[in-house]
Amino acid sequence: MRFRRFQTRVVVFVVGLLMFLSVATFIAVSVAVTRNARAQIRDELAVGGKVFERLITARTQQLADAARLLAGDFAFKTATASGDRATVLSVLDNHQARVAADVMQLVSLDGKILADTLHREGTGKAPPLTLPDDPGLRSGRRQDPSTIAMIDERPYQMVAVPVLAPLPIAWITVGFIIDDAVAKDLQMLTNLQVSFLGRRSDGGFAALASTLPAPMRETLLRRLSGASDRGDTTLSLQMGDGEYVTLVRSVGGKGNGGIIAVLQRSLDEALRPYQRLQLVMLTLTAAGLILSLAGAVVIARRVTKPVLTIVQSARRVERGDYEHSVVVDSSDEIGDLARTFNTMTKGLAERDRVRAELERVGRLKRFLSPQVAELIVSSGDEVMLASHRREITVVFCDLRGFTAFGEQAEPEEVMNFLHDYHEALGPLVFRYEGTVEQFTGDGVMVFFNDPIPFPDHAARAVRLAVAMREHVATLTERWRQYGHTLGFGVGIAMGFATLGKIGFEGRFDYAAIGSVCNLSARLCGEARDGQILVSEPVFAAVQSIAEVEEIKPVTLKGFAQPVRTFNILKVKDAG
Amino acid sequence: MAAAGSLEGVVRTEDGKPVGDAVVSVVAVSGSRPATRAGRAVVDQQDKEFVPHVRAVTVGTEVTFPNKDNIRHHVYSFSPAKKFELPLFKGEHSAAVKFDQPGVVVLGCNIHDWMLGYVVVLDTPYFDTTGADGHAQIKDIAAGAYEVHVWHPRLVNGAAPDTQRVTSVDGKKQRVEFVVRLNPDLRPPRPPSPTPGDRYR
Repeated sequence: MRFRRFQTRVVVFVVGLLMFLSVATFIAVSVAVTRNARAQIRDELAVGGKVFERLITARTQQLADAARLLAGDFAFKTATASGDRATVLSVLDNHQARVAADVMQLVSLDGKILADTLHREGTGKAPPLTLPDDPGLRSGRRQDPSTIAMIDERPYQMVAVPVLAPLPIAWITVGFIIDDAVAKDLQMLTNLQVSFLGRRSDGGFAALASTLPAPMRETLLRRLSGASDRGDTTLSLQMGDGEYVTLVRSVGGKGNGGIIAVLQRSLDEALRPYQRLQLVMLTLTAAGLILSLAGAVVIARRVTKPVLTIVQSARRVERGDYEHSVVVDSSDEIGDLARTFNTMTKGLAERDRVRAELERVGRLKRFLSPQVAELIVSSGDEVMLASHRREITVVFCDLRGFTAFGEQAEPEEVMNFLHDYHEALGPLVFRYEGTVEQFTGDGVMVFFNDPIPFPDHAARAVRLAVAMREHVATLTERWRQYGHTLGFGVGIAMGFATLGKIGFEGRFDYAAIGSVCNLSARLCGEARDGQILVSEPVFAAVQSIAEVEEIKPVTLKGFAQPVRTFNILKVKDAG
Repeated sequence: MAAAGSLEGVVRTEDGKPVGDAVVSVVAVSGSRPATRAGRAVVDQQDKEFVPHVRAVTVGTEVTFPNKDNIRHHVYSFSPAKKFELPLFKGEHSAAVKFDQPGVVVLGCNIHDWMLGYVVVLDTPYFDTTGADGHAQIKDIAAGAYEVHVWHPRLVNGAAPDTQRVTSVDGKKQRVEFVVRLNPDLRPPRPPSPTPGDRYR
């Protein structure tokens, strides 16, 4: 699976990273915790085992102390010395009740039971615990003989002390039964499950006392049956609700009839706090993942949303829509990108605009001087090029003898000449800011006051005509040296005309239609070489700046009346 | 009738140490027993000990137990040869206890567990208790055949083959040596005195 979207990638990366870290942490912590818990359980069990042994020792000591007190009782000694069994039994009963023991026996120094509170008739048997021959015991400096022994298939914690008068005259043994209550007591103190098991003659075990519930006792017996007498061992048993770390201690007897204490700690129980911890960790991890997922989505969105906006804008720009700018309200890299994009879009828009403008200017320059064209374009007001009516001054000029020249001369020469001619006239037209209506061959038509209005349009026309006459005179002089006789005539008229763009998109001209155009053409036609013939309104407009001579009115084709005609001699100062 | 003789009993351990508090007695092998004199004897209680530790007497002797401590004692014995009890008493004029059967009577004090004493009741007038030097002197023994017995509270039974010896006594002084083995002294320890001066003495 490939994540094409940046947002998805960011989310997958962030969440994946966090998940990896979380899972790694979780596993590491879990492993450490479990290992720690197991070690702790073993420690607890070892400590519990020591506590257990200490408790047993303490109980034995307590028993022995009680027994010794009883044995030291003078009345007891007296009764014992009496040799009367009924009396002895009676005193044993009495003293057994004093210390709340469960069995009490009087044993002769040669190891025969003389009286037994449990077996009141039977005597002469060996006591349930081994008594030393050594009479040194009366010193009390040695440990009193003690064990956990079976009497009638029930375990008793037994201790023997000598009866001193003041030399030992007998032993008394005192026993406390070990039952579930004792196991319970030990459990409370050791925090371990405590069981006492007796080995049966068939090698199996019988539960003597236990804190375990009945079914678990059975399980324990089954698990341990067949186990050899290994003394003190630690093992792990699978029982009922889980694993139990188990400590086996031999507490009495050996082989058949031997008694073992089984101390157990449930691993599950010990692990429970850690499991809670694990649950908390899982919850936190999950919460962290959800939060980071949300956070990653938000962050990714924050990144991708403006990017998407920019992408949309870029598509718009691609379609040529520069008007839309990206709105990204941030100061980071994305904000920078958006701002740069906007700047770029503006740049593109500007470039297009300039290009379009240049195009228009280029178009306008066909008939307008560059500065006028730029003026119009920059004003953006091309409306002035729409068809309208206005008073203009039209300058029409052409060459005398050009037709003959064209026929006589080589086309290259003609072209050269026209080149020089146009090159001479063009700049002049532009200088006086005239509008070119026609600029082909030898005939040139220029008008003033449109599209840019000039109050002195007539004066400009006259000044242009004078300047052209001067320049063309230089040219014709030169060409005369090549043997070509060329003259230059100009006609100027002033009046209303209809003006406007004609042609089609990409190729249009600015045309003036009206009799004033015809009049100027006719006047030009009437003009001899070097003459600038103007109509009366022109004369009226320029008489203050020009020296003019009136020539006889001319009758012009298309005009009913003869027209008053004036020839411009010179202008007072070239303005 | 031959002249009376005398006997010196010497008791020592295997490694040669003299044994005190050993009772050496001379018993006629057969025939007429020499008459015993039912005398009087004393076992003191001093500093919570029986003094002497071992007192040998002849059958029929009345023994008094003067208490020289300033506290009471409760002397008793559960020994078959003489069971008696002198409940808490004070002062030097105790009742006399007549030991009318031969045998070893172990003395105890009911209120001081470590107190241990012996009255050895003998059926012969010829006996003595060894001193710290392990020597016992028995005089005026009528001529005849006798067994010489030795007894000690810590004697290991059967360990000393020469605890009895047949000997004939005549006018000469006899010397009898016993090499014995003793059990370790395992009396209960005395509790430490409440004060160094032990004001209860």
